[in-house]
Amino acid sequence: MSGPKGDASWRLRERHRKIKEGLWQGALLLILVAVFGSFIFNVSANLSARNIHSGFDFLFERSGFEIGESLITFNSSEAYFKAFLAGLLNTIKVSVLSIITATVLGIIVGLMRLSKHPLIKFLGALHVEFYRNIPLLVQLLLVYLVITELLPDSFDPIHFGSWAVLSKAGFQFALPNDWHISFVITTVSFVVSWLALRAAFLKKSTGLVATASGFLGGVLISVLTWIICGFVFGWDKPEVQRFAIEGGGSLSPEFLALWFGLTFFTSAAIAEIFRAGFLAVPKGQWAAASALGMTKTEIISYIVFPQALKLAVPPLASQYMNLTKNSSLAVVVGYPDLVSIGNSTINLNGQALEVIVIIMSVFLTLNLITAVLMNWLNAKVTRGTNGS
Amino acid sequence: MKKILLSAVAAAAALSFSQAALAGAVLDKVKKDGVVVCGVNTAAPGFSNADSQGKWTGLDVDYCRALAAAVLGDATKVKFVPLSSPQRFSALQAGEIDVLARNTTWNLTRDASLGAVFVGTIYYDGQGFLVPKKLGVKSVNELNGATICVQSGTSSEPSVADYFKSHNMKYKAVVFDTTEATQGAFLSGRCQVYTTDMSDLAGARTKAANPDDYIILPEVISKEPLGPSVRRGDNEWFQICRWVLNALIEAEEYGITQENVDQVKKTSTNPNVQRLVGSGEDMGKLLGLDKDWSYRIVKQVGNYGESFEKNLGPKTPLALPRGVNNQWTKGGILYAPPVR
Repeated sequence: MSGPKGDASWRLRERHRKIKEGLWQGALLLILVAVFGSFIFNVSANLSARNIHSGFDFLFERSGFEIGESLITFNSSEAYFKAFLAGLLNTIKVSVLSIITATVLGIIVGLMRLSKHPLIKFLGALHVEFYRNIPLLVQLLLVYLVITELLPDSFDPIHFGSWAVLSKAGFQFALPNDWHISFVITTVSFVVSWLALRAAFLKKSTGLVATASGFLGGVLISVLTWIICGFVFGWDKPEVQRFAIEGGGSLSPEFLALWFGLTFFTSAAIAEIFRAGFLAVPKGQWAAASALGMTKTEIISYIVFPQALKLAVPPLASQYMNLTKNSSLAVVVGYPDLVSIGNSTINLNGQALEVIVIIMSVFLTLNLITAVLMNWLNAKVTRGTNGS
Repeated sequence: MKKILLSAVAAAAALSFSQAALAGAVLDKVKKDGVVVCGVNTAAPGFSNADSQGKWTGLDVDYCRALAAAVLGDATKVKFVPLSSPQRFSALQAGEIDVLARNTTWNLTRDASLGAVFVGTIYYDGQGFLVPKKLGVKSVNELNGATICVQSGTSSEPSVADYFKSHNMKYKAVVFDTTEATQGAFLSGRCQVYTTDMSDLAGARTKAANPDDYIILPEVISKEPLGPSVRRGDNEWFQICRWVLNALIEAEEYGITQENVDQVKKTSTNPNVQRLVGSGEDMGKLLGLDKDWSYRIVKQVGNYGESFEKNLGPKTPLALPRGVNNQWTKGGILYAPPVR
């Protein structure tokens, strides 16, 4: 036999293999570039044939439309990018709040389904099957219909003392006068009290129980702080005026419909995720814990729930991302989220491609941030195991 | 390697250029397919509305039928594609429809930058406000602070913003993407005011449980000339669509109706009338059609006045007055360029 032998022969074969693979991949890359290149070519040729301007400079032009509700001040003489920012903040607002309420409701319903009481078990199953099987769009329209048809007009609303009113125009409530400052103070007090209580509880219980108890304590303390801020700065109470109820903060029917709709819909899926996590914990854990003399609550809090969480966190990340994407259905109930603002923009200046690219990039970014946060959470709950 | 790359890119470029060149052949495509694809509204009584049997009626619908009669010889050869406001221009740009007859306002932005060109005005309208009587307002200028329902993607959205801004008034906008959702929210009481073109307001009022509970405020805050549009880039199709509209209007001017068109064709000696009924000079061949193109329009669909009467006239729930939408000889502003 001629040619290199042994190790040298193997190295030569490896080199040839790598060259061949490189050529195939290079050819594939060329084909992809050619295909995408032809798409781009075709699109820009057709756009210029129709005299449709392209480019992102429309973002600095005057928008010309009003936005029903937004966390920042906005009026029709401001630029498009500010309108998009308002829409983005609306999307984040409804997504974050819905994620929190959907998770809480989902955990409760999941535990209901695991209970031994037949009625509670049945109610849990009913909740899951009902909200999981009806399309979200239908649910949103139903909630919106109920709110706008059944609630009274804003001339004659339901009063909760002088603190809040409920009407077709939404839920309006008293706010402290300098609510931005109060919000910052409350957030700071929430974070500080959560961490402090958690540190205190850690001396007596596991990380999970300490975090949960700290969270509840933090919520209570921040509510107290908010109320104190209100009495210190003075309250801005809602009052019935000629066309609307002025004063205070408000949750519009559009926002409420989207919030409730997303919460109930996603809570059904989250309930099933938690139930699966619970059922996956081996029965031996329960047996061993009760042999050690722990009560049912102690077993769940210290042994079973932490293990269930390991299984539940990855699918939970998908559900949160689904919720964020589902919030784009806001346009059918009239909530001015990012997609709804994008729609208005496309119709006013015809820049469909640019606006859709913006919307896609924003959702991609939001979901990537969610994924990163959930991966961090996953790492925390699987600490000490080999990540499974 | 380089040769493969260069030829691949060249092939892709050649493919894409051939795509752009096909854009000028709408008439050929319509004749080949044997149907005019017409983009209309999802629910606009009087302009384009489908009843429970799926039969379409309206002023825009009649225009599409006139187009089919002129081009294909049969007014029934139309395919109606209902489109919402956000979808309509994308559908036209992409070539999914041949003509957009969807009570759409003709303005500069749409003519110049959305890839559409307007063939003319079929209905001169204006933007108005619909409020419940129990609100007790008599004029738009009293609406400071009101909640207004408006549809996304219409010209009403920026118009009302401009009007309120210039009059130093504020309002809360509730914006939906379909006509049904917007009108539903207004009728359920979510908003106190509904703003859109006056003709749409009349249609919305007919949907209320008690139409007399609502009034249309007297102010008309903008000009809304509604007209059909076609995709930019095909001049031949554009001319055909424009002159079908003009023929519809001119037929009424010369008193040619669906009933008397056959008799007029036999007996008329007026050259203007003869051109319209196909017994005089052949105007059709200049457009790429045959001699009887305008005769078929009146025979199968009727003239503009008959269409208006049937869809928007006093016998319909809308009962819109002719007003400015009358012939110039009768005090209105409909003045069709002559078919000659």
